Amino acid sequence: MDTQEKIALIEDTLDLDEGTLTPETVLAEIDEYDSMAKLSLIVMADDEFDITLTSDVIKGFVTVDDILKALD
Amino acid sequence: MFNLVDLTDRRILITGASSGIGKANALMLSRLGAKLVLVARREDKLMETLAELEGEGHGFYCADLSDVESIEPMVKELVATYGPFDGMVYAAGVGTSIPLKQFTPEKVQKVFDINFFGFVEMVRQLTKRGRYNPGMRMVGISSIAAQRGDKSHMAYSASKAAMEGALRCMAKELAPKEIFINAVEPAMTATEMYVKYLEKYGEDSGSNEELLKRQYLGIATTEQISSVVAFLISPAASFMTGCSIPVDGGLLSN
Repeated sequence: MDTQEKIALIEDTLDLDEGTLTPETVLAEIDEYDSMAKLSLIVMADDEFDITLTSDVIKGFVTVDDILKALD
Repeated sequence: MFNLVDLTDRRILITGASSGIGKANALMLSRLGAKLVLVARREDKLMETLAELEGEGHGFYCADLSDVESIEPMVKELVATYGPFDGMVYAAGVGTSIPLKQFTPEKVQKVFDINFFGFVEMVRQLTKRGRYNPGMRMVGISSIAAQRGDKSHMAYSASKAAMEGALRCMAKELAPKEIFINAVEPAMTATEMYVKYLEKYGEDSGSNEELLKRQYLGIATTEQISSVVAFLISPAASFMTGCSIPVDGGLLSN
């Protein structure tokens, strides 16, 4: 899965319009990035990438690029 | 001295006995004199529980109860080995958090396989002729989630509500056979499942802190749950069947 496809997946997971996010987008500036969004990311990473995102890893996310790196 | 919940020599099967509430039940019921058969997936953990039991004559069996078809041969073998049962505690179960957006029938099926279908099949198999003694009492470990909702807990809550719905029907069907069945509804309890939940989701689930405000007696110990199970599985609860008893640290009163 390339970067654009991953970003589209993150947008879908966070219930955002297509094209909303870039790797530089700061997560704290996204209104929809709340506790349920973080839980949705955990489930998405497990479903799509077989990756377990812990609470500590998620707390370390600052930008979308941090999520992309965690999904590599 | 009079012991209200004397379980001396009562043969009781406990599923999910290798950890958490199931293990605490095993320890508590052995202290009250029961002869147990422990069932769980992990043999090493089962042996640890077995080593901690009081009394003699206990046994164990390794099984994955989400494989519902494996339950009948298991029950037949256990009855052949240990004789008919006087009780069963169904503490096997899984917890999960799935937001609505990511909710799929496949994920829900996995939760229901162990939390609901495994429970009903255990009851079905143990209540066939020759596999139980009259007066058998069974207890399902449900959850306060059966009657309270929370974000992302649909599969878990629905599976426990299904368990309780089935239990009420089975209670009426089984009463003429002198078989009685009830459930306990623990609120948040200090189990390995809870520790893993905190490690995985931490405070980001957003619900844990709020829950602790409502559950004002704090997090339950497994012993606080198993003491209620001990009462329900004893003849002291002889006028109770089809009930689901909250053990909730005040949650429902809040």
